[in-house]
This record gives sequence, C-alpha cells and structure tokens, in this order.
Amino acid sequence: MGHPYLFLADLFHWPFAHHYPWVAYSWVAMLFLMAIGWIGAKGIKMIPSGAQNVLEAVIDGLENFMLDITGEDGRAVFPLIATLFLYIFTCNLMGLIPGFFSPTASVNTTLSCALIVVTYTHILGIKCHGPKYIKHFMGPVWWMAPLIFPIEVIGHLARILSLSIRLFGNMMGHELVVGILFFLAGAFLAPLPIMAMGIFVCFIQAFVFTLLSIMYFGGAMEHAH
Amino acid sequence: MKKETKRLFKDLSYFSGLGISVVLATVIGLAIGYYLDNHVFDTSPWFTLIFLGLGIAAGFRNIYLAMKKSRNL
Repeated sequence: MGHPYLFLADLFHWPFAHHYPWVAYSWVAMLFLMAIGWIGAKGIKMIPSGAQNVLEAVIDGLENFMLDITGEDGRAVFPLIATLFLYIFTCNLMGLIPGFFSPTASVNTTLSCALIVVTYTHILGIKCHGPKYIKHFMGPVWWMAPLIFPIEVIGHLARILSLSIRLFGNMMGHELVVGILFFLAGAFLAPLPIMAMGIFVCFIQAFVFTLLSIMYFGGAMEHAH
Repeated sequence: MKKETKRLFKDLSYFSGLGISVVLATVIGLAIGYYLDNHVFDTSPWFTLIFLGLGIAAGFRNIYLAMKKSRNL
C-alpha cells in the first residue's frame, strides 16, 4: 500500500524523505519540540506566565507522576522519561495532520526507543547494585537459578518487543484505518470519528510507553526479592 | 486529577499491556528454540520444546508479577 500525500517529499523534491519518511518527520517533531522549548524558556520569570506556565505544568505533572512510582531515587532518569513522553506524544499526534506521517507508525522509531529504555534499565541496575544486580535474574532460591535465569532473560527480551510492537501496532493500525476509510467514503467524512478517537489513542499509547518505562526503571532500582 | 482517577488510568494502561507480553514471551521462547535447533545444533525437536516451555513459563511469570504488584498497590 502506497503512502498518502507527504508534503516533505514533494515540497523539496527530496528522495530521502520519500524513502525514509519516519526519519524526516521525526526531525520535524524534534524541531517542533525545540521551538516549543525555546518559546517557553525565552524569558524565564520567577512567576511564570503564558508558555512557560504551560510547560511547567506539563513537566511538573510528569515528575509527580513518576516520583509516585519510583520514589526519590527515580529523579536521575526523569530527563529521559520526560523526553520520551514528549517526543512520542508529538510523533503520535503528527499522524493526525494530513500531509504528515507519524514516525511512531514505523517499527524503526519505536524499536530504537524501546532499546534505549531497556538497555538503560540494565545500566542503571548495575550502577545501583553493582555485581549483585545478577540476583534480579536468579530468583529466590539458589537451586532454582538455572531454571529461572532463562525465563528472566526471555522476559526481558519480551519487554523490548512488547514496548515497540504495542506502540507501532497502535499507530500503524490507526493510520491504516483512517487511510482505508478515507479511500472508501472520504466524501462522507467517514474517517472523522476514528480521527477523533485517534487523539485519545495517541495520548494513551504515549502514556503507556512512559508508564512501562518508569516501571522497568523502578524494578531495576529496587532490591531483589 | 483525582487520586482514584490517576490510579485507574495507571492500572488500565498497565493491565492492557499484560496480554501482549504473555504472547510475546511465548513467541520469543519458541523462536530461540527453533533457531538453536535448525541453525546451531542439529537436535530437532528438543530445543524447540524446551525453550517453548521456558517461554510459556516466562509469559505466565509476567501474570504472576502483575498479581503480586496489584496486591501491593
């Protein structure tokens, strides 16, 4: 199935954006986020107003939400979590605008995000516990260790896949449904209810990705059972 | 947002991902076993069966962990 109209490819006659739309459009998302950050931080005041107020509310809400789950230790990974949430949410929402492609509807983007999260949880676990981190994989009783170890490794591999496939599947499915409905009955505004639901799906999926990452970080930092 | 609503959203998004993690753990176990059988050793069907069992165990362990977590919340 071909792509719908993508403006970056046609605007600049740029073959790269045609072959790798997720890379080109994730640059758009990054530029958008940087612009938002620049507008918010242009004139930082003690008593915030306007854009600074909105950004502070978003970041503060995220921080409170995260510290509820991980406790005070989790503050170290907050920049990564906030970045992931804002980036994924922006990418998801971009798919709703005609002419844009949401980068999270390609498995490359979501897999790279999931790999970063899962690798970093292990790095953090080793940093927190040192060599004792291996106890997370060994189970409660020592003679069960040869059985538990492969199970835990498979479970950790499943984390990567489930994080990436869930986000990718939701976004790709949403794009596909909107595309098919537009193709079938676009003149009767058939994709409109799906697009309205898409806003909700975008938020939920970004939220789920963030929540699961927070839980994985929390699990890596807590003591082995 | 109220505290109950927050918790509801948290639980909802956590448990909605439970099913897919069970399936994916099983599939990963099967894939590892299949790869070992057909590309590394020549011992079909033993590694496939063993790793399929381990994958299923890993999937059900996810449910067990979720159960433990929901009891502690």
